[in-house]
Amino acid sequence: MISPFRQFFQHLYARWLGHRLPPARQIKLNTRSLFIFPSKAGFSFLLLVVLCWLVATNYENNLVFGITCLLTAIFVVAILHSFANLSGLNISCSRVSPGHAGHPLTIELVLQQSGKRLRENLILAFAGHELVAIDIAATEETRVKLGFVPVNRGLIDPGRLCVESLYPLGLFRVWTQVDLNIRCLVYPSPQTVLNRRTTSSPLDGDEGLIVQILEGGEDFTGLSDYRPGDSPKRIAWKQFAREQGLYTKHYGSAQDERLWLDWDAFPGLDTEARLSRLCGLLLSIVPLDVPYGLKLPGLTIAPNTTDSHRLQVLRELALFGLSDRGGER
Amino acid sequence: MTSPVWKIHRNGLFWLLVAFAAVIVLHADHLPSWILLAASVATIWRIQLYRSAWRPPSRLIKTGLLGLCLAGLVVEYGSPVGLEPMVALLVSAYLLKLLEMHHRRDAYLVVFLAFFITALDALFDQSIGNTLYIIGCLSLVLAALLGLHSTDADGGGQLRPLGKAMAIMAQALPLMLLLFIFMPRLGALWSVPMQQQSAKTGVTDTMSPGDFSRLGRSGELAFRVSFEGAIPAQQNLYWRGLVLAEFDGRTWSRSPLSRFQDSGLVQWYGDPPKSWDQLIERKGEPLAFSVVIEPTQQRWLYALDTPKPDSEGVGLTRDYRLISAYPLRSKKQYRVNSWPEHRLEPQGLPPQHRTVYLQLPEEFNPRTRELASRWRKMVSDDLELVSRVLTLYNSEFVYTLQPPILGKHSVDEFLFDSQRGFCEHFAGSFVFFMRAAGIPARVVAGYQGGERHPDDYLVVRQYDAHAWAEIWLEDRGWIRVDPTAVVAPQRIEQDLQSVLGSETDFLADSPVSLVRFRHIGWLNQLRLQIESLNYNWALWVLGYDQIQTAFLRNLLGDNSLWRIALALTGVGGSLLLLLGFWLLLPRRRERSRDLLDREFLRLCQKLEKAGFPRQVGEGPRDYAQRVAESRPELARELVEVTRMYEAMRYAGETPDARTLARTIRSLRINRSG
Repeated sequence: MISPFRQFFQHLYARWLGHRLPPARQIKLNTRSLFIFPSKAGFSFLLLVVLCWLVATNYENNLVFGITCLLTAIFVVAILHSFANLSGLNISCSRVSPGHAGHPLTIELVLQQSGKRLRENLILAFAGHELVAIDIAATEETRVKLGFVPVNRGLIDPGRLCVESLYPLGLFRVWTQVDLNIRCLVYPSPQTVLNRRTTSSPLDGDEGLIVQILEGGEDFTGLSDYRPGDSPKRIAWKQFAREQGLYTKHYGSAQDERLWLDWDAFPGLDTEARLSRLCGLLLSIVPLDVPYGLKLPGLTIAPNTTDSHRLQVLRELALFGLSDRGGER
Repeated sequence: MTSPVWKIHRNGLFWLLVAFAAVIVLHADHLPSWILLAASVATIWRIQLYRSAWRPPSRLIKTGLLGLCLAGLVVEYGSPVGLEPMVALLVSAYLLKLLEMHHRRDAYLVVFLAFFITALDALFDQSIGNTLYIIGCLSLVLAALLGLHSTDADGGGQLRPLGKAMAIMAQALPLMLLLFIFMPRLGALWSVPMQQQSAKTGVTDTMSPGDFSRLGRSGELAFRVSFEGAIPAQQNLYWRGLVLAEFDGRTWSRSPLSRFQDSGLVQWYGDPPKSWDQLIERKGEPLAFSVVIEPTQQRWLYALDTPKPDSEGVGLTRDYRLISAYPLRSKKQYRVNSWPEHRLEPQGLPPQHRTVYLQLPEEFNPRTRELASRWRKMVSDDLELVSRVLTLYNSEFVYTLQPPILGKHSVDEFLFDSQRGFCEHFAGSFVFFMRAAGIPARVVAGYQGGERHPDDYLVVRQYDAHAWAEIWLEDRGWIRVDPTAVVAPQRIEQDLQSVLGSETDFLADSPVSLVRFRHIGWLNQLRLQIESLNYNWALWVLGYDQIQTAFLRNLLGDNSLWRIALALTGVGGSLLLLLGFWLLLPRRRERSRDLLDREFLRLCQKLEKAGFPRQVGEGPRDYAQRVAESRPELARELVEVTRMYEAMRYAGETPDARTLARTIRSLRINRSG
């Protein structure tokens, strides 16, 4: 439970941070973007200095006093070294590989420096996600892949990137939280629709089931006995009303291999659930190498098998019904 | 943002253990041997823990180990108060904590303990050598702290933490000096436990036969003196330290009068003069000198007659000695003005003082008492009596470091039977004789003489310890009488070695002391140089708090706090600024890249002259392609040059600007058209 006080200060901090470090594609770490403060160990070190000072003073021992001065000087010099470990670094995002909600996707960052300074033990992470510790050797450009697990589909902002360093002595924490203006295209979480509730399908196994669900040809091909699980939309109500029994209508033809990912195939489910199932189906279809199309309310994509087609379908699934479409291509 | 599971990596552990070993060795000479054993066990256990070969100690074992250590400390030291038990306790905690590092904060505790324990060693030994070792230890501990934060490195990277630690140390050094020079020192805030093994050689506040001859065996340093003018003649260098007035038949000790350190009996530096100050008649020019004294754990100080303190925290006592406000826990420096020409209480002795300085135990030394009263009746003049006693000494007596052991009537046996003795025998028997004859007298203990260092200061060692007498005469006041000077004048005019150098007991406790080899020229030269280095070390570093005020006043013109603060922030700030620039500005190591770019620019100019200016945003390859299309005869060379440039500039090929330059220069491009 976060106290309201804390919430309030976090809100203030976020606002201030947004003002101080506005989103940018590339951010250079410098006095403006870096923050530095003694760590817990740093404060303990100060306690040690005070202890040494007390010994030096009470024993009137100039040598211990000298050691106290040395420790103090080390503390002060450590400020510069800690800062230098991050300062002068350019951070930008080079590539985001798309992924599905609930599954980790990788964000590739580029860290550049103009000199050849050795930087050690930089810790990078998106708030609340996996940490990555890296050294930057004397090269000018270092690429690092960060994991990120999105919760929702859409064009997702992974939040601010935290870069932190305790190097060299752990007495100071140098950190920054930068907004690199990253938008990850996140597809719906794929939900498998396949379960073995039908065994007597015209085609055997998964393929049969997929075809059964997806066949969406324009032409009415005939009726068959109703089987539990058939879409209520395909029930031949006319025949039922005439009390001729329960039949299911069939469209398309055996020759027409085109499959349709149809919004209407999942009646009674909410938007996200439908998109998840469509996404799951799509992933099952792709290996079959049959043409497939997408039917969403207000959008139809003609069946195809190419890779770009697949990406377009996924993209539409990801962005369906969202206002932020990241500038339509 | 710290990872929840922390495990020390190989390199971090390596430096932690190296630092551990160094710190233990640093303290080895005052730690019980079982702690050293426990430390090795802890090290092995720690390594096995890392290799997952052994299990971490269970709670039961940990409690047991802790109990064992505490029991060991109690057996070893008895009381927990004292410096050694404190250090031993800390070291035990240090080695137990080493086995219990589950979190990074445990590792921090281990490292910070190491820092503290290292610093404590400076209380035991403040020599230059030990200081260097302490600095080495601090570097290693710093490397251990660094190792906790760098990623694990194999091979060549293993030494990286130490290198970085040394760099940080070096950069911290100027700042440290600044702080050391300018930070004001406060006096002791509260009293602290002292070293227990302080049974060091030195003058003590009692004198029994044999005490001073023991000091003659030691070549240890007592104090050093630098005079503002010339060093006075050797026979005048009587370093007065203690007045011993009470005699119990065997031992001379301080009188209650002298032990009583009431404010009325001590004239502290800077205080208004006490009433008894006017009893001192100071005549002529004073001798100004400053003394750097080794720690004695006592309060008395040494000075020439008759002194007046010139340093904070030093006082003049009623019996005209100097004392320090605190026991001497470390080297101390103090300044003194002394008036060699003086008279002390010539007008008369207060009755209670007279009693003190005439006190004698009844039942001892009847023969001496009898002789004294007989001579008293024969000679009425005090001075004549004194010279008679001194003549007695001069007749038969032998000055030696190996006097025979004396029985109950020690003065009788010495004066009439053995007649062989060291300074304490002469001084003690003389004062006894004087008191028996009704002349107020007292024993004075201190040092006599000292070795002149070529750098114009005086080195006084333990074997210079000496005891002499003071008697009080009407109209003359207290005067110094040294019976030893009558028996062995060389002892006073030169030094102990010239009298007793051949005696085997001399310096027997300092077998490798360089003083022994004074007669070997180059070795003596070396000894004097080391001595000089040590003196400056003691003067400028170990005793800096004593001269800080004067030094800062010289440096800043006045030593007000705001001036000190200004100097500290000003100089410190600029030092940090310099360091910051050096650390934060990008290293310009990519010079070779600049050279490549320059050569390529030259090519562009060449082509431009030929009528092919490079277009905005055109890459080197496209540019070359375009030129090559209109000038096919150049195509091969142009493509080759751009390939070379691109390979060196972008593809990581070893930059070789010279070859590139040669190739570009060899291109002959005629103006087109």
